[in-house]
Amino acid sequence: MRLARLLVLGLAGLPLAAQGAGFLQAAYRKQEVRIPMRDGVRLFTAIYIPRTLPGPFPFLLHRTCYGLAPYGPEAFPPDLGPNSALAREGYIFVNQDVRGRMMSEGTFQEMTPHLDGRGVDEATDAFDTIQWLLENIPGHNGKVGAWGISYPGFYAASTLVASHPALKAVSPQAPIADLFAGDDDHHNGALFLAQAFWFAAAFGKPRPEPTPSWSWRPLITADTPDGYAFFLGLGALAQAEARWLKGGIQSWTDTMAHPTLDGFWQARQLLPHLRTIRPAVLTVGGWYDAEDLYGTLQVHRRIGAVSPGAASTLVMGPWSHGGWSREDGSRLGAVTFGQDTAAFFQEQIEAPFFRHHLKAAPDPALPKAYVFETGRNVWRREAAWPPPGTPTPLYLQAEGRLSFQAPLDATGSDGFTSDPAHPVPYTARTEQRVAPAFMVEDQRFAAQRPDVLVYQTAVLERDLTLAGPIQARLQVSTTGTDADWIVKVIDVYPDEFAAQDLPDPGPEAWEAPVNPLGGYQQLVRAEVMRGKFRHSLETPEPFVPGQPTAVAFALNDVCHAFRKGHRLMVQIQSSWFPLVDRNPQQFLNINTAKDTDFRKAEHRIYRSRTLASSLLLPVVR
Amino acid sequence: MGFWRGLRHTAGWATLGILAASVLGAQGVAYLEDHYAKQELQIPMRDGTRLFTILYTPKDPRQAYPFLLERTPYGVAPYGKTAFKAELGPSPLFGKEGFIFVYQDVRGRMMSEGKFIDMTPTLPAHDLPSQVDESTDTYDTVDWLLKHVPNNNGRAGQWGISYPAFYAAAGLVGAHPAMKAVSPQAPIMDWFTGDDFHRNGALWLPHLFNFTVNFGRERPAPTTSWPVPFRHGTSDGYAFFLAMGPLANANRLYLKGAIPFWNDVMAHGTYDAFWQARNLRPQLKDIRPAVLTVGGWFDAENLYGSLQLHRTLDRQSAGTDHHLVLGPWVHGGWGRTPGDRLGEVRFGAATSEFYQTTLELPFFLEHLKGGSASGLPKAMVFETGGNRWHRLEAWPPANVKATNWYFQDQALGLAAPAAEGFDTYPSDPAKPVPYCNGVNIGMAQDYMTADQRFAERRPDVLAFRSPPLAADLTVAGPMQAELWVSTTGTDADWVVKVIDVYPDDFPDPEPRPAVRHAAPVNPLGGYEQLVRGEVMRGKFRDSFEHPEAFVPGQPTRVRVPLNDVFHTFRKGHRLMVQVQSSWFPLMDRNPQVFTDIYTATEKDFQKAEQRLHWGPRFPSRLILPILQ
Repeated sequence: MRLARLLVLGLAGLPLAAQGAGFLQAAYRKQEVRIPMRDGVRLFTAIYIPRTLPGPFPFLLHRTCYGLAPYGPEAFPPDLGPNSALAREGYIFVNQDVRGRMMSEGTFQEMTPHLDGRGVDEATDAFDTIQWLLENIPGHNGKVGAWGISYPGFYAASTLVASHPALKAVSPQAPIADLFAGDDDHHNGALFLAQAFWFAAAFGKPRPEPTPSWSWRPLITADTPDGYAFFLGLGALAQAEARWLKGGIQSWTDTMAHPTLDGFWQARQLLPHLRTIRPAVLTVGGWYDAEDLYGTLQVHRRIGAVSPGAASTLVMGPWSHGGWSREDGSRLGAVTFGQDTAAFFQEQIEAPFFRHHLKAAPDPALPKAYVFETGRNVWRREAAWPPPGTPTPLYLQAEGRLSFQAPLDATGSDGFTSDPAHPVPYTARTEQRVAPAFMVEDQRFAAQRPDVLVYQTAVLERDLTLAGPIQARLQVSTTGTDADWIVKVIDVYPDEFAAQDLPDPGPEAWEAPVNPLGGYQQLVRAEVMRGKFRHSLETPEPFVPGQPTAVAFALNDVCHAFRKGHRLMVQIQSSWFPLVDRNPQQFLNINTAKDTDFRKAEHRIYRSRTLASSLLLPVVR
Repeated sequence: MGFWRGLRHTAGWATLGILAASVLGAQGVAYLEDHYAKQELQIPMRDGTRLFTILYTPKDPRQAYPFLLERTPYGVAPYGKTAFKAELGPSPLFGKEGFIFVYQDVRGRMMSEGKFIDMTPTLPAHDLPSQVDESTDTYDTVDWLLKHVPNNNGRAGQWGISYPAFYAAAGLVGAHPAMKAVSPQAPIMDWFTGDDFHRNGALWLPHLFNFTVNFGRERPAPTTSWPVPFRHGTSDGYAFFLAMGPLANANRLYLKGAIPFWNDVMAHGTYDAFWQARNLRPQLKDIRPAVLTVGGWFDAENLYGSLQLHRTLDRQSAGTDHHLVLGPWVHGGWGRTPGDRLGEVRFGAATSEFYQTTLELPFFLEHLKGGSASGLPKAMVFETGGNRWHRLEAWPPANVKATNWYFQDQALGLAAPAAEGFDTYPSDPAKPVPYCNGVNIGMAQDYMTADQRFAERRPDVLAFRSPPLAADLTVAGPMQAELWVSTTGTDADWVVKVIDVYPDDFPDPEPRPAVRHAAPVNPLGGYEQLVRGEVMRGKFRDSFEHPEAFVPGQPTRVRVPLNDVFHTFRKGHRLMVQVQSSWFPLMDRNPQVFTDIYTATEKDFQKAEQRLHWGPRFPSRLILPILQ
């Protein structure tokens, strides 16, 4: 959710080279207006209209909660629109502060509930804005597009709800769809603590009056640059409020007050409101987006389900949150992708999409899914997402093995102690905030721990390519009454896999230079299931201590080739800190638990004939 | 001892035999070619064995020069009459001063004749021509040089770092009267108790394996070149050595019995006659040359030897003019790193240049060239934490007071706890605690100051911390942990790590840029700096010669001696001790069953539950020498 403001501020450093405020000032004129909504609330809007290019022009709408800086009729940002090609071609760029943020009137609500015509919401605000633009801004061609990344990706997706007839092309990029099931704040009901806390501490600061100024500086300053120490030092989760935020951040208070998928969170779900989709849609996301990968995939899936005939394309690249717009997409952490994937997306997919639907340029004939296959590092054009494949179970076996045969043993399990006082870190680095590269980080630091179970296949004799979601189907038990179950799917590189740019030590050197990628355990996909939510996010249910219990959940889609010579590894653990808050391992409301509620527990994963644990892999050719 | 290995670490993979770029800038081949003549000689020893020796002699004949000798098992490359080293002597200052630099392959290595023996035992008597050792070889070499090399001033000095420092120290025994000044720098003293390959009987696995797999191969005939180095096929030492399994697999999988010294180590699992013969200390009596012992606080290989040599001279050879220099250095770091930092830890100045300029060169000038008195104190020691040099009359200093820090519930305190208790942790040989937070095939050079938070976060590491210190706390000298432990097994390793916990607001000396709107990464806020770590292999707790099993579950006292430090825990910092039972792969795994680990099999390795007890009956404590 955090990216968009940076884009507007122009801190982004676009791969295609920033357009530059000078160019924009010469080519565009700017107007600041307050557009009245149907309830009389006026939304602050900046409109940039081409001065010299031949019109008429389509509108390109960007609705945001992160501000339209720079404010002022003479002040120009270094970039307009999602990529620099568009500004050079001529669009009427419309940037709008959403209701209750920055300079707009009204009251802001997190993930504004959709009311489906029973009141004002983001859909009606978008509709009213488009109508006003068509009636009040001359020189347009009658067509409107919308885009946005992250929180603005949610606003872009909201334009699709009972959309205005003039709205022809929408690109929700990393849209938030569900803050409890899988985006940003929670995954399967487990709180994404570090991200949620720091986002709320900054974004959630109250805005008593309309203002053009705002800062990402959080309400509070941490007493340590070490995120693990900060959150462990907090103790029970309730201390976040008691010790730090003290009621100053309404969204955090709300989050703590709603520990299940109750009416509060249900009202904030986007997906049920996406029904008949009329505009063309380009949904964009990153395989390594730690914030809104879920929303991206689910928005596309939902559109395909409710409007199979809609012109809807999914683009997935090897990107972190917003990476397609902010970086060149050639690498993340230690993992390289062999090409400038962001430029490819902007030039070959994004610009042609808007050009065709808004300016009647030739149809780029985008496929249903344009996805980057990591591991092999190639783009794939698919007629469906996920593409047809062979769901293939991969079973946990004795001695840390994984195999495609079901286990034959009558009994078998592996155990570990899960100690909330020593949670498994999500990264080997010391950082206060969650840096995106953890999504591909080497997991050897975790494999070396006694509280992480490790299973791996034999060395693969040919490429194993997965495309789509992965289902985890575990049989578990705990001595407690609640537990988190984290499944990490990992690509183990061969020892001889050579990092680029290794120095040549000469043939006589006793030691070869350190090759960090030999034996690298690259995280490909991971997910957590907060055990009490295994059957229902609405109605949690305890574990019976010691009783084997099925826990099944989906890991977000991948498109990854485990190459010949690599191995596929699965790690299973019960903490992932401070990415995920600690589970007290007692069945209770974690948001109000006390320090003394947090207990060690013995966890078992079963791998026998009758209690088999497996992953269901979406294997494709 | 792994001088060359470490050298290539810092030298950007210089090939073997070419000295690393030094701190003050190498003298340079061109300068040396202009000012020195090179000779290659075979010098006969008393038993007829000839040792290959290279001389670099100043061309200027107007004065006489002293000899400066280095004896080495690593080769005196470059070989050949016309090929010059880029640097002569221990620092670039020496080449400009003018010495007759002598480099000698020790007996049985490279181009010298004879048979090589690791850590050549020093014989108690040298009555017969056949009674040769490093002492006699050094003597014979000096004697031959004095008689055969013109323009010498009748004086000789010797130096060496690491294994060559052992030769320098061994040369002190029964030294030639012309030998006036010797500087053993990171010398090996005892390979079982504290140098290189064992610490208190626990094997330093990658260090031994990676060293002997190359160094330990037999040399059938004199040669100027080394065999093709072993390649592990991975940089991941944790994975490599864990996959190797029990130590006995090393021969089966990799060494194939072809490394005699590896086999010796495996055959001598206790401090028996083999190891005792390789302990130089008993021979160090009535030493005549002046001695400058040099060591690094963060020398992962021979800190023990440096400290022991100085201590032994204090005890057994009090009349010797001997001095000690200890700086904030890695193994040999005083000669090939600036010495201003190690990893994230800074020392506030270029300590190596200070050492080379004001300590090392003046020492040799005084004794070999009649230079002015060097004014060296008994001990010139760098205080880490406070980051300053101290001129001391003794090391350890006299004005220290032994102070007990008692373990108690996750805390360290000066008051003995009234209540009794224990902490427990699992120790699983299949998941040993890593010694560093990164990928390395050997000993990562900076592990000795590395942040220990990665370890504290594991469930198999105990951490005890003091409150924030109200005033600076300076520890000077050797430390000792006295643990009351029990185990469900019959053997166990007890690793004690003394740690300086920085305050959370410790500023980053070189602030890193903020990424996006996040707070900048500052690894030093809350940093847990390893100050000193040591292990006691439990079965050796009372004797290295006679190992003894634990009685499962019975609280037992284990003393863990820790090498000296001179470190100030600054006001606002905390003192922390971590206790764990593995430190991998730095140290081999203990099967946790009382057995000969060198012949143990996979099934001998068992999980155990460890307890650290505290309280009135079992007063586990850390004893610190606090500077008053």
